[in-house]
Amino acid sequence: MKNILTLSQYTFREAMARKIFLTFFAVSSFVLILFVILFVSVSIEEMASMISVNGNEAFDFISKIVEVMKIAIIAPLFVGGLFLSIFSASSFIPNMLEKGSIDLLLSKPVSRAQIILGKFFGGFAIVLLNIAYLVVGLWLLIGVKFNVWDTSILLSIVMISFTFAVLYSLIILVGILTRSSILAMMLTYIIFFILSPVLLLRDKISILIDNVVVEYLLDGLYYIIPKTAELSNININIAQGLGIDEYQPIISSFLFMILTLALSITIFNKKDY
Amino acid sequence: MNSIEVNNLTKVYDSRFKKNAVTALKDFNLNVESGSIFGLLGPNGAGKTTLIKILLGITFPTKGSASILGEDISNYNVRKKIGYLPENHKFPNYLTGPEVLTYFSKLSGYENPNLNIRIDEMLALVKMDQWKKMKIKKYSKGMMQRLGLAQAMINDPELIFLDEPTDGVDPIGRKEIRDILVDVKNQGKTIFLNSHLLSEVELITDRVAILNKGIMLREGDVKELTISKELFKITIKGEPDEDNIKSALQDFLISKLEKNIVYVKLDSSDEIDKVIDSLRKNNFSILSVENQKNTLEDMFISLINETEKKI
Repeated sequence: MKNILTLSQYTFREAMARKIFLTFFAVSSFVLILFVILFVSVSIEEMASMISVNGNEAFDFISKIVEVMKIAIIAPLFVGGLFLSIFSASSFIPNMLEKGSIDLLLSKPVSRAQIILGKFFGGFAIVLLNIAYLVVGLWLLIGVKFNVWDTSILLSIVMISFTFAVLYSLIILVGILTRSSILAMMLTYIIFFILSPVLLLRDKISILIDNVVVEYLLDGLYYIIPKTAELSNININIAQGLGIDEYQPIISSFLFMILTLALSITIFNKKDY
Repeated sequence: MNSIEVNNLTKVYDSRFKKNAVTALKDFNLNVESGSIFGLLGPNGAGKTTLIKILLGITFPTKGSASILGEDISNYNVRKKIGYLPENHKFPNYLTGPEVLTYFSKLSGYENPNLNIRIDEMLALVKMDQWKKMKIKKYSKGMMQRLGLAQAMINDPELIFLDEPTDGVDPIGRKEIRDILVDVKNQGKTIFLNSHLLSEVELITDRVAILNKGIMLREGDVKELTISKELFKITIKGEPDEDNIKSALQDFLISKLEKNIVYVKLDSSDEIDKVIDSLRKNNFSILSVENQKNTLEDMFISLINETEKKI
């Protein structure tokens, strides 16, 4: 446990040393500042009272604005946050596997499983922190401005971080197999931006193509590949306080993460460096 | 007691095509005595680094077994008592020297309530204490090597593996590193050294092994290995006439003749008595007879050349 903690801590430091995470932090801060300016310059309470003298209608108006804002923030945050996170985390494993670096690490009294888990938790922690910084900041701003302290938006921190963890497990596996950060990044982006959204529409595609083999192939891929498109929808729903309709995407993505990590550890355990 | 024991170790690097498989080590056996400095020598690709990597769990053996400090190499906990400086090592370049030492001491499971004092001591030992605040990405090759040595010793290990420790270090720095290694040995620690600089190895090692193409060619005491049984240096009293010496030793091969010193090359060391008899018969007074030493480098080159011819 101590070794995992040390490795996580130094993966976190490695991430901090990279400009991309500072950029992520700077972008988050910039977004927060934009909202501060917006909220200071536009008086929503005044607008609401002008529209209706009825207090309830004003309240409805405010909560509607808050809901729209949540969707406007959370959906791009999911895509943008994960895009930046994947980009910055894709080189953790290939960097570690460089000659002269991996030799030193493996010569220490640390198991190979601990090394993988240390890298995993370290990368996860930095993304969690960055996402939490932005989401908590927005929650505070909305709360102060509209006096709406709905904590459901905070669940986005969990969903975005979870989605990152699932994709990060794949980055780790590809990194171990190929030592290529570009390949790890590309494959993850393909799943995130293309495969998962396409597979979500597999029923419609099957009707269009009308081929049993394609249907089975799409179904097979759907159940194997992490369901990031559905996780994005779940994220929006929970941020709006609508709860979770279906747990299958979460469970199957979680299983994907566990299996991918287990496979990474198994392969790493057998490799010569 | 042995710090390292290697039994019939074989390592074959598989290829997708069997004919491209490379045998890096073949039935390799080795014992390294505790408290000594052991040098592993061999040309590039001899299997030296592979052996260290197997011993440290970085690479897995195809066949055979090995133990370090009495524990099987598969037990990674034994590495708590080991230090390692790999060739062309890479440390996290966003750290400073003390931070690198903190990181690796933590990973080594080294527990010392006075770790900062230990770090300061190690940095002072390798003369890097004045660069404590500098990020290591600004370090020169020599500075990295010094820090690497400190890293290998930070956890107060019983056994230290050093792969080309003086690579990129200036001559004064090399001397300092040699002195450190001798000092560490005097503390009862074992040092396993991989180096191409044979003159350096000769200066500090107790025993050496010579390896080529994964096969052990020779192992032994440095003095034993470098002694040349066939070449003798004979010092004659006074200022003898060179022609007279040549005449007295006409049945023998004179390698070199310098005033009163004659170098004689013999087929066997047993013949030295006949040389002395011959000189004495011609009324030469002998001041000394010395068995000449080769340098480790001479011996290494001739041994490698011999095996290359055989293969």
